[in-house]
Amino acid sequence: MLFKKKNISSLHIPHNKNTAGLVPTRIDTPKEVVLPMNVTSHAMNASKPAVSVGDHVRVGQVVACEEGSFSTFIHAPISGTVTSIEPMKFRSEQEVLAITIESDGKMELSPDIKKPEFNTCDEFLQAVNNGGIVGLGGAAFPIWAKLREATNPDYNVDTVLINAAECEPYITSDHRIMLEEGNMLKAGIDLLHKYIGAERFVICIEDNKQDAIDNLTKIFEGDSCVEIQPLPSIYPQGAKQVLLYNVTGKVVKGGQRMASLGVLITNVSSVTKMAEYMTTGMPLVERIVTVDGTAVKEPKNVKAPIGTPISHIIEQAGGLKSEAFKVLIGGPMLGTAVSSLDQPIQKVANAVLFMTKKEAAQLEPSVCIRCGRCMANCPVNLNLEGIAAAMELEDEDKKYARLKDLGVGQCIECACCSYVCPAHKPIMQTNNESRKFMKKYQAAHAEEGRK
Amino acid sequence: MSKLYVSASPHIHSGASTRNIMLDVIIALLPATAASVIIFGVKSLIVLASCLIAAVGGEALFNLICRKKQTIGDLSAVVTGLLLALNLSTNVPVWQCVIGTLFAIVCVKCLFGGLGRNFANPAITGRVFMLVAFSAVAGGANPTIVDAVSSATPLEVLAKGESVDLLDLFLGLHGGAIGETCVLALIIGFVYLLVRKVITWHAPVVFIATVFVLYLAFTGDVMLALSQILAGGLFIGAIFMATDYVTTPITTCGRIVFAVGCGVITFIIRYFCAYPEGVSFSILIMNILTPFIEKWTEKQPLGGVK
Repeated sequence: MLFKKKNISSLHIPHNKNTAGLVPTRIDTPKEVVLPMNVTSHAMNASKPAVSVGDHVRVGQVVACEEGSFSTFIHAPISGTVTSIEPMKFRSEQEVLAITIESDGKMELSPDIKKPEFNTCDEFLQAVNNGGIVGLGGAAFPIWAKLREATNPDYNVDTVLINAAECEPYITSDHRIMLEEGNMLKAGIDLLHKYIGAERFVICIEDNKQDAIDNLTKIFEGDSCVEIQPLPSIYPQGAKQVLLYNVTGKVVKGGQRMASLGVLITNVSSVTKMAEYMTTGMPLVERIVTVDGTAVKEPKNVKAPIGTPISHIIEQAGGLKSEAFKVLIGGPMLGTAVSSLDQPIQKVANAVLFMTKKEAAQLEPSVCIRCGRCMANCPVNLNLEGIAAAMELEDEDKKYARLKDLGVGQCIECACCSYVCPAHKPIMQTNNESRKFMKKYQAAHAEEGRK
Repeated sequence: MSKLYVSASPHIHSGASTRNIMLDVIIALLPATAASVIIFGVKSLIVLASCLIAAVGGEALFNLICRKKQTIGDLSAVVTGLLLALNLSTNVPVWQCVIGTLFAIVCVKCLFGGLGRNFANPAITGRVFMLVAFSAVAGGANPTIVDAVSSATPLEVLAKGESVDLLDLFLGLHGGAIGETCVLALIIGFVYLLVRKVITWHAPVVFIATVFVLYLAFTGDVMLALSQILAGGLFIGAIFMATDYVTTPITTCGRIVFAVGCGVITFIIRYFCAYPEGVSFSILIMNILTPFIEKWTEKQPLGGVK
């Protein structure tokens, strides 16, 4: 390319980081916690319960084991009695098995909590797995699986990008981790250095978090492996593909694995939580959650046990000043709207946002006027108008060929397109549907091939 | 507690809407509209009123008759009506204004499925239709603000080989369509559209520059080249019509190709043909070529593999 873009940039979205200066406070133990057996929305990655109804459990005790690929160990976040193990509805319509634990109010620690023993890389990975650590940036992919891929000698991963961009509005949980647990992050990086063998660690932080940059610069002073990389505060700076390009200039091509470029990207909180388990034996049972949005009385950061119902969190955080019209787990760009306040927070819940009717966008789609804003703001230059047009094709073969040609698989699902669209079209959803269509088409044709 | 609202992400929006964009275009056209009334007097108000009423009324009536959702709220009919009016001279009788506008709104826009689905710019097509059906639409009218000797438009004067005063051209103190003459007012509108990020600079600047460069290359006369770009409908066409979202390419690269094409065709018509004005035809021709330009200029996404 003749004019290579130096940085991918996209949108300036109001940051609303109201809670950046607020130290997280630990909330009172909830009456009960609910632990769904899948940490992502994929039911196939469900863990298998290791306790029965009526069992007494203590904080940190394993209540569910990994089963099959990409599920994780789940630990009891509170002490108490298992009152039910039955399917419930969470984010999607699909029912998921969930364990409910009723608190005994004591928060007794399990005797199982002790620093894991590990000497080799395999033992290290197994220990990370036992800690139930998942990617806390949003994907909830088990960290040990990602690390195992990074140790594959074919890939020669030598660079680790610690993703601390936190580019979504409101959320400050990663920011607080960097301010308060910088030393734990250092311990985590030292472990990755020793067991994964990477030589270069880049902590990527948006420049709206100067205090975090200063704090980490101090902590990592003299550490030749670690660089602190301030980045412009532009959405979606923390998207993997965008971060990779802006920091290293590399691009993951369609069908390629990130590791094959010699790079591992992992979230800052994931590394810190991993280090916490590896040095103290305390598994991932609690996390920092930003409580904010236009409907809350006062924005706050809280430390809440995994599985705490949203209703308990907001009650503890000071309540609402006006009626919540829409409640999100996660940020306003990519978070999930919940249907009820009984929903529990899961390991990846970095924020709970309460929006008033005025703040929440309720949009009626109209016709595309071809203004091109979606494409001008797409970090990966997708031809979004072309994708929408291709989705209207009736001939499935032509539709598949056209979508493939347009490279729709490169979509990073940042939602910039939908955010800027003056016709209020759900452009990102159209992309997701197009990828679903492609998968279905491929599967159908693979079957035909076998026949 | 009432039921919570659930929808797919994103949960916030930039606030941009089709209506706001159209409103910005209308605001950007206001300086030219004001200039038209100052230069050509109340007669231009008659042209403006008849086109606007015909545009909005025509679309409303079409939607009513066809039992479609009412769309006049998106203000695109107002833009079409206003833009077409600014491209006509005060000599055009009211009935012609109304028929031309109805053609633009109903035949070019509504019959193709409304805003977003028309292949050609309605205002441009309406103007070309009127040119063909009623002959002169731009000429013949004198500014009321100055004592003009001749009612010929600057392009007609230039075609005869005579020269025109550049300042008069810039301020629009000469015959022509009511909105096209005052380049100053059009540039104010252009700056507003740029500031509001409604359009990018590429198409207008490249279009006008292409015409200028070609005139300079073929005649070697800077004054003539300057007169050529300031006269006629080049500025209004380049700023407001060659930037129409629906009928021009969607990518920056495509927009530049489009604008170069417009410039070349405008030059060819003005320089080689007997016909003095070429902007409308050039944009209309390039509108038709837009799907092909988009195909040629399609880019691969980041990390995309063929």
